[in-house]
Amino acid sequence: MSERPSAIAARVHALAQFLSAGDALRVRIERRGETIELSRRPSGAPARTSGGLASGDAASRRLDTIKSDLVGIFRFGRPAPLEGDAIESDRELGYVEALGIRTPVHSMGGGRIVTVAAADGEPVEYGQPLFVIARG
Amino acid sequence: MAIFSEADRDSLHVRQADEAFCVGPGPAARSYLNIPNIISTALITGCDAVHPGYGFLAENARFAEICGDHALTFIGPEPRVIAMMGDKATAKRVVREAGVATTPGSDVLSSLEAARQAARSIGYPLLLKATAGGGGKGMRAVAEESELERAYAGATAEAEASFKDGRVYIERLVRSPRHVEVQVLGDRFGNIVHLGERDCSVQKPTHQKLIEETPAPHLAAPVREALHEMAVRACRAVGYTNAGTLEFLVAGDEVYFMEMNTRIQVEHPVTEMVYNIDLVKEQIRIAAGEPLGYEQKDLAARGHAIECRLNAEDPRANFAPAAGTVSKIVFPGGPGIRVDTHLYAGATIPPYYDSMIAKVVAFGGTRDVAIARMERALRETLVEGVSTTRDLCLEILATPEFREGRYDIEFLPRRLNSLVQAGSASR
Repeated sequence: MSERPSAIAARVHALAQFLSAGDALRVRIERRGETIELSRRPSGAPARTSGGLASGDAASRRLDTIKSDLVGIFRFGRPAPLEGDAIESDRELGYVEALGIRTPVHSMGGGRIVTVAAADGEPVEYGQPLFVIARG
Repeated sequence: MAIFSEADRDSLHVRQADEAFCVGPGPAARSYLNIPNIISTALITGCDAVHPGYGFLAENARFAEICGDHALTFIGPEPRVIAMMGDKATAKRVVREAGVATTPGSDVLSSLEAARQAARSIGYPLLLKATAGGGGKGMRAVAEESELERAYAGATAEAEASFKDGRVYIERLVRSPRHVEVQVLGDRFGNIVHLGERDCSVQKPTHQKLIEETPAPHLAAPVREALHEMAVRACRAVGYTNAGTLEFLVAGDEVYFMEMNTRIQVEHPVTEMVYNIDLVKEQIRIAAGEPLGYEQKDLAARGHAIECRLNAEDPRANFAPAAGTVSKIVFPGGPGIRVDTHLYAGATIPPYYDSMIAKVVAFGGTRDVAIARMERALRETLVEGVSTTRDLCLEILATPEFREGRYDIEFLPRRLNSLVQAGSASR
């Protein structure tokens, strides 16, 4: 069974925090055929990683994880949120549908989407990470 | 598919399940009582049925109804019957109409003033009991009228917190009774059988059971037969299906129906050991529409079984819950020993739920053998990191009252201080 995107996002989040807390400029983890690489530049524009995940943003800004408040099916909003998207202010990124009711998922403020942690149409549990947003 | 709260993320049932879904944070009201999240979990994961266990939503008729509304089979009685028999005051009225003796009591009380008036009619001492209750929750003994207001406030608040239903009723307090209950099974074809009785009189001062056994010792044959017959008669009167337990107070030759629990009970393992029937499996078979496949004459009890509840509590501190991390754990084995638990070394006991951490069950060909095996099993049980009721259970088993099988529900409250001190001194 393939690993959930939420688990991958959690590892990315942990690596980003490790990177931002120290002097390292790059960290690469190879595990079971999967590679996650985060890097940050000492100055200048942030670099995107080989996994398509923004890293410099993550290293210099606070990361917030938007989690599901309920159990249901997660759906993207329109337009679909993408990693790297800049968010100016609070924005509805999608919704969780449960028992016929759609509960919006908000960005809870501005920033940049670092990770889209759940797939469109994925069943999600309570507390499951949906997005990782870099603030600041 | 197992559900869990964030506080139970590392629980054994989650680790052993094929799949598991988190339904909410630690507090039960937002997780294990969160009907939308539980139903949604069942639907999006393709479940066919829901087993409610015991506690939480196990006796919630509305939850059973909602399951049916979403084409999920609720593994338990019909919502109509849960509502009828799960409401303690209504259940008493229904069985009384079926010719079963009940403890003098009131209907559901609407206010403190109504409680006062009912109490004056029924007489003191009395018990305030939660109509949606179980497990001793929402229950208060009241010796005289001056205690009623405080007891009423406490009982209603505890009932609301435990069952989302703060309604209470009054029963006359029967002096020195035994708590004897009867296990029943009923299928959807009208077949109803009993699986004997259990004596659950060893109870903490809060009326929570600590030790249970089957058969009930020193029960006169006519009384035993009457209990079985009344239980089956009451079930036929309401068209009961699936597993259930009817609880009675027994004082000498007098028997009073107390309440019915429309679910599987914590202490069901002792019945399973003596009848060699998997009650949870029978629940699932019945819910799937299968007939029982056997009649009363096909059932025979053999031997004796005892269950001791290991709770993460400190009996020396009025059974204060002992949340924390279990650093080391060893459970017993050997002939006739069974342990039901969710615990393992390194597990953390969260502060949100009932403090029971394990059930140690001992079976033997006779009661004496069952007691001896239980004593050996408890001595071999090691739980480090939190206080437990292990030593207290050992002290209880060693008392003349328990050895001779001559105890009632006031036995442990009366002897508690001396037993706790003896346990502390010897270990």
